[in-house]
Amino acid sequence: MVYNIHFGIYVDVDMPVEDKSKSLLPFLSSPKLLPDESETEFQSGLQSLLSELDNPSPLAVALVSQLNETLWWIKRHTVDKELLLHEAMARLLSKAGTHWDTHDNRKVSEALERYLDGRADKGEAEWIDEVLAESKLTLSDLRVRAFKDAARHIKMVDDLIHRQHQTMRHLQRSIDSIDYKSRLLKRMDLELAALESKQSVKEALILDAKPS
Amino acid sequence: MTPNRRRSLANRCNALKSTGPRSASGKRASSQNSRKHGLNSAPDFESSFEYKALVDLIAEEGFSAFACADIAAGLLNYRRVMDAYYDTYTSPEPVNEFMRDMNIKASTPIFRELLSPSGSEPQDVREMAAFFASMQRQERRKGGPVSRRSADTHKLIRYQRNGIARISRAVRQG
Repeated sequence: MVYNIHFGIYVDVDMPVEDKSKSLLPFLSSPKLLPDESETEFQSGLQSLLSELDNPSPLAVALVSQLNETLWWIKRHTVDKELLLHEAMARLLSKAGTHWDTHDNRKVSEALERYLDGRADKGEAEWIDEVLAESKLTLSDLRVRAFKDAARHIKMVDDLIHRQHQTMRHLQRSIDSIDYKSRLLKRMDLELAALESKQSVKEALILDAKPS
Repeated sequence: MTPNRRRSLANRCNALKSTGPRSASGKRASSQNSRKHGLNSAPDFESSFEYKALVDLIAEEGFSAFACADIAAGLLNYRRVMDAYYDTYTSPEPVNEFMRDMNIKASTPIFRELLSPSGSEPQDVREMAAFFASMQRQERRKGGPVSRRSADTHKLIRYQRNGIARISRAVRQG
């Protein structure tokens, strides 16, 4: 029997377990990436996590793919923390400056972003320096003030990161419990097989011992 | 003030006089205005192909039928939450630059001009200015796009927490 899992992804119930796990991946971890993110990096992270699985059962693969996504979200939120600071810095600069250009918040924000990355051209860098001097601030002063202003939103991002850590802990515990369960099942199978073989030996002995 | 900004301001003032949608389709559409992510609605996973396929796959791992159903529903529910999380993150409420950068004091003569045909009093003009000032405060408090997307995504934390706890419980009890 063949199931259509997701947009043309098919899972045949008679497939070997590893193939089934692979065919589940696009459904459970179709990478929804932002335009500037690398799919190769996402997939290589997933593959390295999968390679550490002792028992790549479909459920374990499903959980690992969620784990990989959680790691990805932690990365995104960490970048956001820095962006929040830049946003607040730009807001402060546009408030502080007296030049008409500084009233355009978006323009200041873009220029500051390039300035902090070291990509700003000479004119832009001079302009930012001028606005900083005008408002009697150094870059680190501005950063401190921005941190204070954006504290509420930075706390929110910290909460989001914390949530992803908690999620990872849940997923790890679930993966461990599947691993334990499969080991237990294997052990029980072995014990059962040993018992059965013992039983058959006993029966054979009884049959032999019976007087004909 | 440029003619464009003047026109926008006039449109906003006129919009305040609106009493909402009148047609049935308009009312139907506006009834969904406050819908954000749809995560509070009860999903029907049992009839989906994904659910059946997941149940079959999980059953092969030695879980009971009840546990399989629980884990599959948990996984699909978690996926739904994370899809909504992504959508919320990628489409935050846009910044209303007009409102954020508007100079309220400089707009007062326009308010007066717009309200004068109805024979309005200076009190009306003051109220209009106060209304726009409060809208501007709200807009500025929300911050830029990154602040907005963080705030919007933050609202989904509890859904993620419940979703992952459901999976974890189902797997460990299964």
